[in-house]
Amino acid sequence: MDAMASEVSTTGEQQDLARRVAELERELSEAHQRESATAELLQVINRPQFTLQSVFDAIAQSAGRLCEAEFAFVLRFDGRLLSYAASYGLTPEGVAAWQKDLPRPAAEDTAIGRATLQRAVVQIPDVQADPAYGDYALAQAVTYRSVMAVPFLRDGHPIGGITVGRAQTGRLTESEIRLLQCFADQAVIAIENTRLFEAEHTSKRQLQESLEYQTATSEVLGAISRTPTELQPVLAEICKTANRLCETPDAAIFLQDGKWLRVGSVQGSIGAGASDKIALTRGFVAARAFLDREVVHVHDLRAVADEYPQGYESSLKLGHRTIIGVPLMRNEDAIGVLILRRSEVNPFTDKQIQLLKTFADQAVIAIENTRLFEAVQGRTRELTEALEYQTATSEVLNVISRSPTTVDPVFDAIVSSAATLCGAAFCDIQLYDGEHLRVAAIYNFTDEAKERFRKTYPMRPDHVRASGRAILTRAVVHVPDTLTDPEYPRELAIAGNWRALLSVPMLREGKPLGVLTMAQAQAGPFPERQINLGKTFADQAVIAIENARLFNEIAQKSRELEIASQHKSQFVANMSHELRTPLAAMLGYAELLQEGIYGELPEKSLPILTRIRSNGKHLLGLINTVLDISKIEAGQFKLNLGEYALGSIVETVMVATESLAATKKLAFKTEVAKGLPYGLGDEQRLTQVLLNLVGNAIKFTDTGEVRIAAGAANGHFTVSVSDTGPGIPSEECERIFEKFRQVDSSNTRAKGGTGLGLAIAREIVEMHGGRIWVESTIGQGSTFRMELPVRAAIVPGEA
Amino acid sequence: MSKRILVVEDQEDLRAILRDLLSASGYSVIEAMDGAESVAKAASERPDLVLMDIQLPVLDGYDATRQIKALPGFTAIPIIAVSSFAMKGDEEKARAAGCDHYVTKPYSPVQLLRIIRGVLSENP
Repeated sequence: MDAMASEVSTTGEQQDLARRVAELERELSEAHQRESATAELLQVINRPQFTLQSVFDAIAQSAGRLCEAEFAFVLRFDGRLLSYAASYGLTPEGVAAWQKDLPRPAAEDTAIGRATLQRAVVQIPDVQADPAYGDYALAQAVTYRSVMAVPFLRDGHPIGGITVGRAQTGRLTESEIRLLQCFADQAVIAIENTRLFEAEHTSKRQLQESLEYQTATSEVLGAISRTPTELQPVLAEICKTANRLCETPDAAIFLQDGKWLRVGSVQGSIGAGASDKIALTRGFVAARAFLDREVVHVHDLRAVADEYPQGYESSLKLGHRTIIGVPLMRNEDAIGVLILRRSEVNPFTDKQIQLLKTFADQAVIAIENTRLFEAVQGRTRELTEALEYQTATSEVLNVISRSPTTVDPVFDAIVSSAATLCGAAFCDIQLYDGEHLRVAAIYNFTDEAKERFRKTYPMRPDHVRASGRAILTRAVVHVPDTLTDPEYPRELAIAGNWRALLSVPMLREGKPLGVLTMAQAQAGPFPERQINLGKTFADQAVIAIENARLFNEIAQKSRELEIASQHKSQFVANMSHELRTPLAAMLGYAELLQEGIYGELPEKSLPILTRIRSNGKHLLGLINTVLDISKIEAGQFKLNLGEYALGSIVETVMVATESLAATKKLAFKTEVAKGLPYGLGDEQRLTQVLLNLVGNAIKFTDTGEVRIAAGAANGHFTVSVSDTGPGIPSEECERIFEKFRQVDSSNTRAKGGTGLGLAIAREIVEMHGGRIWVESTIGQGSTFRMELPVRAAIVPGEA
Repeated sequence: MSKRILVVEDQEDLRAILRDLLSASGYSVIEAMDGAESVAKAASERPDLVLMDIQLPVLDGYDATRQIKALPGFTAIPIIAVSSFAMKGDEEKARAAGCDHYVTKPYSPVQLLRIIRGVLSENP
């Protein structure tokens, strides 16, 4: 009866069972498919040169295939717009049609838009029944009824998502959703990994950019991938999950540490009492898996004592029987092992092994993330430091260029920068004059230390102090611990509030000019970077010293030259003045002789006396010119301002020169405008200018005329002196106003003159605030013009 | 009786020229070589005109002029300043000191003689 009932019920149950078995098999196969897809994805991510695109493509393909969807998309979200990343199931035309609508803001009219806004999985079981839904671009590209979206969330913020659409109405199953979520997690990891790789390879040229980028990345990474110290919880989580899913009492992750495998995490009863490390010997299952880079699965350790002697020993001690070791592979290298142990003989299924491989990959990703995070952190620290150093050194260079004459501001900038950047207790610069060291700049000295320094310095460099040693050896002196340094005097080490010293000599062409010293309160070596920084600062100090020396030397030289030049001008001025006295006497006597004061002279001697007098006057004129120039050069040339009538100046000049013109049979004309205002200026000097111009005109003109014209316009007098002489080449027109300059030297011989007259004329005119220039046509003559303010305000002379 | 002219000049040559010129022109010449001597000679000799150099040892021409003009009865005695400074400020200083006329060196003796004649004809 029992048997019958059992039989009957068996038949019914068998049918149920058969159904259930079929169902389970289907589920199993689905699960298997999903897991292998996940594993594939992880492999893609974990490839050394994976691209984000390949990951997105794999996600779209797997999601679409496993969810039996008409289409699947991966989109990225930048906080504002959704943009295309990858797709499955659409023709290229379909993709193109759909992409027309992209990028687009996240909105309620699409599943992915809603998922992004809600930061949650969104299902639209029937798009035709959802009034808010309206992805028309997509509807044109593919026929579908239901659509679902899973967002990519990083730290809770949407950064993209997967969307799948199916031909039939309805929802995704729980396991399908989990699968899509798993893909979403992988996508986030992939995106982060990409960022990290990019961060790591950013070039040095983009120092600042990379620093900002990496700081941001490391912050994000710190948030999502946790801090390095939290690698343990991640590994623990993997072990726990493995235990749960494989129904094992014990799981552990070992990581390579030199010649050992060290426990990264152990979760369970078996491994709790075990050693925290095992030797890398083939006798351990874990070690074998690591060494062979292959899964090692031992059904019963007790049966393989010969093959795995250490494993066998361990099983006797800890009581486990079945063990599996899955290597953690990074690229081609094993970096650790995931092991699971059972107390009974119960081998792992293929499905479980597949799962464990996935866990191993996840562990690698976590470890990688941690490693990259640390690398990024370290690199960020280095970059920050390098940037600080660069900023400091460029600041010092700025100070150098700002203070060319003195080194003190530079030294102050150096000691404060050096001390701050190196975290030094204090810092000083001492200068060396070849005999003694003197303190030139100090930073962060206590009053006590200052007092001690005041008493000690100046001092001869000795082989005791770091600074002295640096001077004497001309090399960097590094004393990591003053108390243990054999040469450093113990009493100094105890007296000073420092333990580590760094002295960098300031060398110019191998000669020590001084020394930069930094001190740390704690014992310990200065890092290479700080030593280099010290050298840079020492070099800059030398540059500053050199700059100041050269600058002051040049300034001194030009002062001396200036004084010498003034002495010379003064001498010439005095000399000219002295020359005039005897000359005046000679002219006076000649005139008295000619006047017959000393009695009748022979007829023939009278023209000779005329010649003596005219030559004497000429000499006097030359002396006066030299006197003027030397006064100009000595800065003693001054105007005596007074009222004058331009007409009378012209008159005076005409009277003085018309006989000369007549001698050369030149026509001499003057045109003075009527009603000219009275001028303010130095009448005597202006007369001198006009006299010079007219004298030149007469001197250089052999036929034709000399004409003086004077007028006024716009508050200025205009005076011109025209001649019909040979003219002046245009290239000479400016240069003839320079000192000692004449049109050419052959003329100098023919016409005489010092070549100073026009230079003096220009000086006088410019001191009145006016200008003088010449217009000339070769063969037709020249016109010298000047423009003078009617009321002159004295312009200081250039000399 | 010929007019008496006090020539104050430290340069021997210039003094000689003036002496020769003025003697030949009918004047009687008294000479002084510095400012202090000029004041003493003016007081003792009571000249009709003074030719006063400005750059002088001991006492310069400005001070000598001032002291001479301060002597009793000397206000009307014409003093001609002779200066090689050739600057407007000097002429003003000379006039402020009491000089009646101003001549710059180097001068033509004949022209100076013309000036002296003019001044003396105004002060007979």
